[in-house]
Amino acid sequence: MVVTDLQLAWNAATQLHDGERVFVGIGAPAIAAMIARRSHAPCISMLFESGVDCADPQRVPASTGSHEVASGAALHGSMLDAFSQLQSGRIDVGVLSAAQVDPAGNLNSTVIGSYEQPRVRLPGSGGAHDIAALARRVLVVMPHDPRRLVDQVDFVTCRGWDAARLRRVGGVLRRGPVAMTTERGLFTLQGAELTLSAVTAGGSASWALEGLSWVGESEVRELPPLPSDAHTRFDFDAPEGSR
Amino acid sequence: MTAGPSGSSKVVPLRDAVTSALGPGDTVFLGGFGHCIPFAAASEIIRSGVSGLTVCKTGADIVLDLLVAAGVVDEIIVGWFGNPGIGSSHVIRRAMEDDGLRLSESTNFGLLLRLHAAELGVPYLPTRTLVGSDLRDRAHHVVQVNCPFTDEELSAVAALVPDVAIVHAQRADATGNVQMWGVVGDTLTGARAATRVLCTVEEIVPESRVRSAPELTALPAHRVDTVTAVPGGARPSYVDGHYERDAGAYELFQAGSRDASWVADLVAGIREGQEVTRWW
Repeated sequence: MVVTDLQLAWNAATQLHDGERVFVGIGAPAIAAMIARRSHAPCISMLFESGVDCADPQRVPASTGSHEVASGAALHGSMLDAFSQLQSGRIDVGVLSAAQVDPAGNLNSTVIGSYEQPRVRLPGSGGAHDIAALARRVLVVMPHDPRRLVDQVDFVTCRGWDAARLRRVGGVLRRGPVAMTTERGLFTLQGAELTLSAVTAGGSASWALEGLSWVGESEVRELPPLPSDAHTRFDFDAPEGSR
Repeated sequence: MTAGPSGSSKVVPLRDAVTSALGPGDTVFLGGFGHCIPFAAASEIIRSGVSGLTVCKTGADIVLDLLVAAGVVDEIIVGWFGNPGIGSSHVIRRAMEDDGLRLSESTNFGLLLRLHAAELGVPYLPTRTLVGSDLRDRAHHVVQVNCPFTDEELSAVAALVPDVAIVHAQRADATGNVQMWGVVGDTLTGARAATRVLCTVEEIVPESRVRSAPELTALPAHRVDTVTAVPGGARPSYVDGHYERDAGAYELFQAGSRDASWVADLVAGIREGQEVTRWW
C-alpha cells in the first residue's frame, strides 16, 4: 500500500473506537476500519451496505458486494438488513468519502458544476446520503487535495452540519459529520465548521492546511503515529487488477 | 414418503425466457450486487430487440452500461451508477449528455424502500432518510409526511413495482425454487417486488436437493416465471462456489468504454450472438 494511503487510513482509524458498530464505505474508509480492527479496536463491527455484517476482510475490497468483503464475515444479510440497523440508530459511526467536502461537512458525489449541465457527472450517492443522515456520527475520510476540500460543494449529496443536525431522530441522536481526517490531520466540528484540531505526527498546522481556505485551532495536537510495524501489520494484499 | 413434484417445469431457453418476460417500455430490475450480476441475461435482452426499457437498481454494475450502450434503455432509476471500485461510467455519462438517457436518482436506501414497499404490497413506506440536501430536492417519488401517530416529519417513498426482475443465482429446481447464497444486496427485495421473475442459474438440481436444504431457498417456485441453466451466466462478476470475479475484465471495460466505438463494437458482437465475455 502506498505510504500516503496508509497514513490516510491510519489517521481515520484513530477516530474509531473499540467495540463500535461501523457502517463502512469502500476505499480509504474500509481500510481505516480494517486497520482499526488490527490495532486498537479488535472488537469493532464492520457492516457494509451489501448486507455483509461482522465483516473481517483480509484483502482490500473493491466494492461493498465483493468476495473480499464477504469472505470470513459472520453474516451475509441483505441491504435491507444493513440499512435497517442504520435507520434504527444502531450504527455508532458511518465512514464516508466523497468527491468534494466543505467546512460545513456537506459531501458531494453527484456533480461537479451544475446539476442540469454538469462539468463532471459523478456516480451518485449510493448509500452515502443514507449513512450521513442516519449514523450516530459520521467520519469523513479525504485525501489532502485543495480541489476537493472546497469552500462550498457544488452539490449537496449529503447534508453536513446545520442547526437541525444535532437532533434526535427516532429517539437517537444523529450528530452528522463531526470529524474529517486527511493524511495530514484531523478536522473536528467546532461550532459550524470543520476545523483543524490535530496533525499527523511530525507535521505542522500550516502543512495540514496547505492550499486550503479552511481554518485551524490556535493549538493543534498530534495524532497517534503509525505503529512501527504498520507496513507489515497492515499489509493487505491489493486486489488483483487494482491500480 | 417424499412428496411428488410440486409443479410443472419452468425451465426454458434463455431467449424464450426473455421474449416471454419483457415487453417494450417495461421497468426491469437488475439483480446481483457485486455478486451474481446477470450478464448473460442482459446480453439476451440486447439480442431480443426489446426497447424503451426503464432499468432500476440501487447500486449498478457495468451490466447497466451494456444495456444503455445497446440503446434499449430510455431511463435509469438508480442510487449509484459506475464501475464498482474503479470509477465513473463513461457510457452512461455519454448517454445522458448526447442520447437523452433519463436519470431518476435517489439514495440506495431510498430506492430500496421503494422496492420494499412493492414487496410489502403497500403504496409507500416512511423513512428517516432523504431529508435535506440538493439530492432530496431532486429525488423523484419522495414527499414529506407527518407520522399519523407521533407527528414527526418523515419522508414517504412511493412503491416501485418492476415489471420484470432479472436474477442470477447458484441453482434452482425445475419447478422454479431458486437457491442463492453469498452477497445478495438488493437482489431479493427487487425480485419480490417484481411482477415477473426471470432467473438464470449455474445449474438445475433435483427438487429433492432443494427441499433437503430449504434454508438456501431465496425465491419460492410460485414467484418465479422462468429458470434457465446458464453456467458462467454472471461472468465477469463472481458466483460463490463457482467462479471468481475477473477484475481485469472490469478494468478493461473501464479503459475501453472511454471510446464509444469500442463499446459499439462490443454491443454489435453481443447482438451477433457472441458471448458477453468477448471483451476480454
